[in-house]
Amino acid sequence: MKKTNVPGSQSFGQKLLQFIRNNTVPIMFILICAYCIPQAGFSWSYLLNEVMTRLGRNAFLILSLLIPVMAGMGMNFGMTLGAMAGEIGLIFAADWQVWGIPGMILAAIVSIPISVALGVMIGKILNRSKGREMITSYMISFTMNGVYQFVVLFMMGPIIPIVHDSLKLPRGYGIRNTVSLLSMRQSLDNLLAVQVGGVKIPVLTLLIIGLACLFIVWFRKTKLGQDMRAVGQDMEVARDAGINVERTRVISMVISTVFAGFGMIIYLQNVGNFPTYTAHTQIGMFAIAALLVGGASVDRASIGNVFLGVILFHTMFIVAPKTGAAITGDSMIGEYFRVFVSYAVITLALVMYESKKRKNKSLAGQQLAAEQAAEEEASK
Amino acid sequence: MDNTTNTLAEQSKLRRLVNSYGVPRLIITGFLLLMFILAPVAGVDFATQITNVINRFSWNAIMVLAMVPMIHSGCGLNFGLPLGIISGLLGATLSIEFGFTGGMSFLMAIVIATPFALVLGGGYGWMLNKIKGGEMMVATYVGFSSVSFMCMMWLLLPYKSPTMVWGFAGKGLRTTISLEGFYDQFLAKFLQIDLNRFGINLVIPTGSLLFFALLAFLMWVFLHTKTGTAMTAVGSNPTFAKAAGISVDKTRLLSVVLSTWLGAVGILLYEQGFGFVQIYMAPLNMAFPAVAAILIGGASVNKASITNVIIGTILYQGLVTMTPTVMNAIVHLDISEVIRIIVSNGMIVYALTRKTEGGK
Amino acid sequence: MKAKRRLLFQILAVVLLVAIGYTMTIIGRGHTIYLDSKTLEYDGQTYKPAYKTVVYVDGQQVAKLYDKERGVATCIGQTLTVTLEITQQKGGTEEVYAYNIPVPRKMDNVIINLPGFLAGLPEEAYLSEFIPSPDEVAADETDVPSDDDFGMEDMGMGDESAAQ
Repeated sequence: MKKTNVPGSQSFGQKLLQFIRNNTVPIMFILICAYCIPQAGFSWSYLLNEVMTRLGRNAFLILSLLIPVMAGMGMNFGMTLGAMAGEIGLIFAADWQVWGIPGMILAAIVSIPISVALGVMIGKILNRSKGREMITSYMISFTMNGVYQFVVLFMMGPIIPIVHDSLKLPRGYGIRNTVSLLSMRQSLDNLLAVQVGGVKIPVLTLLIIGLACLFIVWFRKTKLGQDMRAVGQDMEVARDAGINVERTRVISMVISTVFAGFGMIIYLQNVGNFPTYTAHTQIGMFAIAALLVGGASVDRASIGNVFLGVILFHTMFIVAPKTGAAITGDSMIGEYFRVFVSYAVITLALVMYESKKRKNKSLAGQQLAAEQAAEEEASK
Repeated sequence: MDNTTNTLAEQSKLRRLVNSYGVPRLIITGFLLLMFILAPVAGVDFATQITNVINRFSWNAIMVLAMVPMIHSGCGLNFGLPLGIISGLLGATLSIEFGFTGGMSFLMAIVIATPFALVLGGGYGWMLNKIKGGEMMVATYVGFSSVSFMCMMWLLLPYKSPTMVWGFAGKGLRTTISLEGFYDQFLAKFLQIDLNRFGINLVIPTGSLLFFALLAFLMWVFLHTKTGTAMTAVGSNPTFAKAAGISVDKTRLLSVVLSTWLGAVGILLYEQGFGFVQIYMAPLNMAFPAVAAILIGGASVNKASITNVIIGTILYQGLVTMTPTVMNAIVHLDISEVIRIIVSNGMIVYALTRKTEGGK
Repeated sequence: MKAKRRLLFQILAVVLLVAIGYTMTIIGRGHTIYLDSKTLEYDGQTYKPAYKTVVYVDGQQVAKLYDKERGVATCIGQTLTVTLEITQQKGGTEEVYAYNIPVPRKMDNVIINLPGFLAGLPEEAYLSEFIPSPDEVAADETDVPSDDDFGMEDMGMGDESAAQ
């Protein structure tokens, strides 16, 4: 991963150019934000408060994407499945009337077996579609959305016992369109919360996010983490080195899915309620877009990318509608603009990654051809 | 001894037959047949159902056909279909804006959509050539970005026609635009066979079907021309194709443009049957049913034929139209939406996990 | 040997998680408590409420109850810790008491009759379950608007538009 440039061989200008080229997306976003913030005319304390809320809300979800990137499986669009598991955990916690932080812990524990099973499933499927993991995980998340609907809309009630009628649809089975989490709303954020100049800092949530970061740092250093990186670099080489490639990949998906489940629980406790059938559909996309905005690419993502990404992406998200309204007189423009930017960032990152991959491949091919030619020359 | 080998042989023969047809396709066909059998039991009018399936087929078939060129040239499934749809929508809205009515508006919509499809498809194809091997994921997001970009454009472009813009604001297109007085049912009414006179509720939109047949035939002919076979060669073995003196990039570009143009025409035909133009976020997910349909029809990520298109569209649309009515009539459970999501997306996952990629 | 140890650890982890989960269902069990300040008849005796009762939970005032009034408090776990500020007669002096009222785990909504509780009657006398009428459940149905939908509705990713 280290740059192989010879130090001192480049002028400052070249270095700057290199830096800009490597960080196109974050720089672009800083410019967008710098332009939009004054236009939107929010007060700084409001803006900081919002960004802080969203940082606490989203960072854990985005952290769940890091490990599959390490294993060379790209952006895990299948994190949606973890989110579904987290939601199912929350539904049970709400039904059993377990409130506050204990409710969240219970939801997390309920989500673990579901996440693990789903993670193993995605991992196995992705092992059958190497080289196109992202589109496959994307389609899996669509398919499993159907399964989730089946479970929650039809099986909860008659097959999976739900105690409280207030959670069920009037017809007697299936969960209502909105699950209220009023009893655990911001219970994690408010405990140990600190007010600094009108900005609420959810210390406990940030601590948990910090713990997750520490876990990832530690995990990178373990034997398994090293194996995973080896698999991410080159599957064949890793296999030759005696690493069980398939198993390693499955484990990376399991960890990611479980993390995503926890992340979803943290996210939803902040929001305070969730639309049962749509809450997870966008989560994957927003998390991935934020990570990419933070300067990550499909094959390289760090914890720094996560935090920079959340801050930049969500600042844009907060100010875009107001800016759009200020410029064109129509707030919908801003709404569409932020959606467009989320998609465009992912597109751009994917294109850059794929073209780089292809360039490297053809470069390697040329090298091989040149070597062969040289060998032939030599043998003549 | 003899006996067992015989049955074994027979078994393998059956297995071969099943394999050639594909297990998922077999299940879906079986399910659809079951639906047809259950329809009269459930008290659903059979002829109405057939009419629905044929109608839906005529709306969607060309968008499914749009998958064929790109699959042939090895670009994979065209998840970027929304790009073509955007071109079609531009054609449709501009044709109305310029004041064309009736059948003329349909023809003009195709004419206007064509340059858009060529330019957008050209750019899209150029980009896909830069990222060989990773087309599908990028295509999905190219589709999404273009749809969300056009959302802003629909609001900002200076459309004036009172049939299309919001009444109170006088600007910005409506989310759905009625095609009444324009090309609503234009092709469907052409040579339409209506059996209602004989008490059978069966209506066949002959014109739409003929239009599809014409395009499908042209596609078939194209695939058998020199360029068409070159395209197949590029898809199945790029190295060989290159050695044979075919320009891989050019051929792929052509296939992408063709796919995009067919997508544009496809959405126009869809609107023609549906009676409305849907803009803004509506095209976002339109690629997935088309992709699912051709895969259900037996195509794979790198192999597709016109037959796959026809069978796939009938099966998929049959599934979509039959299940809700029959299921609701029998069990009073609206489970059809769930089945549709699982089947269509599951089919795509299944196709993606098959090891069929020629190059790799 | 290694595999055996591994399995043991796995089983231990599962048992631990289940134990934690079960603990959570006990310590995190939420109850809605309705505090009634009204006359209670029990065993032929009448227990009259105080003129005014102010209820504090966690240092926050949750209700100020006169005769025949009801206050609502929430409680997590099986003990409701309340501080009651009782004024027996109008114009009388306030007396402050702190109580720990045990709450049965199985009940979601609990009615506690304060005069009965203060008189030291057995649990079945002052405590009863509140069963919301179906109408109230229906009234609860009104969807709580999410304060941040992320523009999800606009994005139409629910796959529904694809059905057409």
